[in-house]
Amino acid sequence: MEQSVSYPVKLYIYDISRGMARQLSLQMLGKQLDGIWHTGVVVHGQEFFFGGAGISSCAPGGTVLGQPDSVVDMGSTEVPEDIFTEYLTSLSESTYSSDKYNVFEHNCNTFSSDVAHFLTGRKIPSYITDLPSEVLSTPFGQVLRPLLDSMAINPVGNNRNGPQ
Amino acid sequence: MAEQGAADPGNNNNNNKPEESEGTIIKVTVKTPKDKEEIAIAEDASVTQFKEEISKRFKAKQDQLVLIFAGKILKDGDSLSQHGIKDGLTVHLVIKTAHKAGDGSSTSAASSAPTQAGSSSTSSPATNTTSTTGSSGSAPPTTQTPNILTGFGDLASLAGLGMGSANFMELQQQMQRQLMSNPEMLSQIMENPLVQNMMSNPDLMRQMIMANPQMQQLMERNPEISHMLNNPELMRQTMELARNPAMMQEMMRNQDRALSNLESIPGGYNALRRMYTDIQEPMFSAAREQFGSNPFSALGGSSESGAQPSRTENREPLPNPWGPPNSSTSTESGGGTTGSTSTAGATNPSVSNPLGVNPGSLGNGMFNSPGMQSLLQQISENPQLMQNMLSAPYMRSMMQSLAQNPELASQVMMNNPLFAGNPQLQEQFRAQLPIFLQQMQNPEALSVMTNPRAMQALMQIQQGLQTLQTEAPGLMPSLMTGGAPGMPAGGGVPPVPPENPASPPTNAGTNAAQQQLMQQMLQMFAGGGGGGGGIATTQTPEIRFQTQLDQLNAMGFINREANLQALIATGGDINAAIERLLGSQPS
Repeated sequence: MEQSVSYPVKLYIYDISRGMARQLSLQMLGKQLDGIWHTGVVVHGQEFFFGGAGISSCAPGGTVLGQPDSVVDMGSTEVPEDIFTEYLTSLSESTYSSDKYNVFEHNCNTFSSDVAHFLTGRKIPSYITDLPSEVLSTPFGQVLRPLLDSMAINPVGNNRNGPQ
Repeated sequence: MAEQGAADPGNNNNNNKPEESEGTIIKVTVKTPKDKEEIAIAEDASVTQFKEEISKRFKAKQDQLVLIFAGKILKDGDSLSQHGIKDGLTVHLVIKTAHKAGDGSSTSAASSAPTQAGSSSTSSPATNTTSTTGSSGSAPPTTQTPNILTGFGDLASLAGLGMGSANFMELQQQMQRQLMSNPEMLSQIMENPLVQNMMSNPDLMRQMIMANPQMQQLMERNPEISHMLNNPELMRQTMELARNPAMMQEMMRNQDRALSNLESIPGGYNALRRMYTDIQEPMFSAAREQFGSNPFSALGGSSESGAQPSRTENREPLPNPWGPPNSSTSTESGGGTTGSTSTAGATNPSVSNPLGVNPGSLGNGMFNSPGMQSLLQQISENPQLMQNMLSAPYMRSMMQSLAQNPELASQVMMNNPLFAGNPQLQEQFRAQLPIFLQQMQNPEALSVMTNPRAMQALMQIQQGLQTLQTEAPGLMPSLMTGGAPGMPAGGGVPPVPPENPASPPTNAGTNAAQQQLMQQMLQMFAGGGGGGGGIATTQTPEIRFQTQLDQLNAMGFINREANLQALIATGGDINAAIERLLGSQPS
């Protein structure tokens, strides 16, 4: 009786710096970063991501960032949409409420990583989750830290926590 | 049925399990969105048994439990080993709430989210203070937020943050309100070293406060207030107060107590009343109008206009369109553009070139970046934004105070950590600071910024220069300035020392050189980009255009000044100059 329906799960990766990190990071930070990555998890026909406004969702590729720079196939999940929604709702009330956003420690990629693990048991590529520590390990990153700490990356989407 | 583990660890240390099976006990972490627990269970237990344990631990009904592992939902009939669940692994749990899909809970989340968004955005600008002391001072612009990286180059998101409102004051008030409602934020802002820097400068504070028209009115009516402002001790104290909300409360309490004591003195009540009507009331109403109910907020943050959601002041890794000058102004975007424009190698602003854009350096550095371009594009597409920004009265007063106080401006700039790593930029900027400040005062400059077509034209010029650079590198050397050091852009044209406006410390020399460059550039353009980078002619435009001026005079254009400007703008082309003059006459 294993009629497991499975839903594909994809990870959309965006370079928020639009290529500038690749060009300038070596000079600015002293190390080469190919991009400043923002990610969203696409499942059940929607893209989910975490930003300054909390967990948001929109049509895949529907944020202001446009089409993703790359897409990673995370496999598939059996988790149906209703359970997933429950899950996200609990997350948004606890570990991923909008005030928990921190651009270095608890950002969109942290969220994507957790959600991807929940859905598929796999983690997202490490170059993405390693990015904050890469940046912070440079002196310039340290200098910028207080500044960036106050920022939140928030591509406009349909906020699932907002009025719909 | 013997408990498989958790209940009596004493019994089942190792693999001695009574009959059930040879199951070893494994510890599996069960993780919900909200928390996680470690559950010990037999390795070959079934999912049902596992759920039993879980329902006890999490106090939920077994029916409500949904277990997920490796993307699969664990059904009751399965066993843990079937799914490969071993010791130390994590299984996800979702507890279904009574009403499915948790719409109820999402609404509560919804209400918290907007306030969060508000406060988080307000706090971002707070730190964003590096770029805007004022804004953080006055009211952490909600807008200022952060979307630094995201919004990068995308002003559309600004609208989402309320920037869409055409009324700047409204925006500012909103911010104020946000600030007031969250005392945390105020202290955060105050902690920011840049703000502190600014606040510790009583002169500046006084200037700012005086620049506020309401305050001015107030002061006229009540000279005591101006005395108060002029008393540095008091100013400092007030600033300390603003910085430290606890202290402020103390103060207020003391004041209240003192006031109530006054009441008991014969005639004291009347005096109090008088005091209130004369001083406090107008002050409060002025304050309220402008800032919200807290009069101290006026002191704490009159300055800059509420900012805009700044996009970023992050200049380095991602070039900051708003540049440093905006650090003092809360206005991010527009100021930034001009900031970088001027930083890229300012030339003396003239009528035809109100922004003092040095065309030679346009092709360089910052301007070259795609981000910059997209920003410019956005600016040109969104004139409303610029207008909003520029029309804020605070912007002007801010600019004025900055202009009068270049020391402060440079101080502010230097504090900007973005500059810290780049002494050349600092130098460059310092040299151009006065020019930049002046040009911000120039209403023409401002109108150019708000004119999308003008911005577009500027962009085109820049693009043209870029192409020129690649196509005819030989043409550029004499025109190129140092640009932004370290930028890979443009093929690294060597700065020509004598003509490099960025390096010389003295502004006088700089101005002349810049002006000459400008002239040459314009001439070149006018002349269709003819040969070589024209060499400096030390003649002033007047002399050069002498013949043309005479001709214009003869034709009846008496206004020598206007003629000269027109000629400069058109590079000596009489017909074009005439058209210019005719075009501007109806004004």
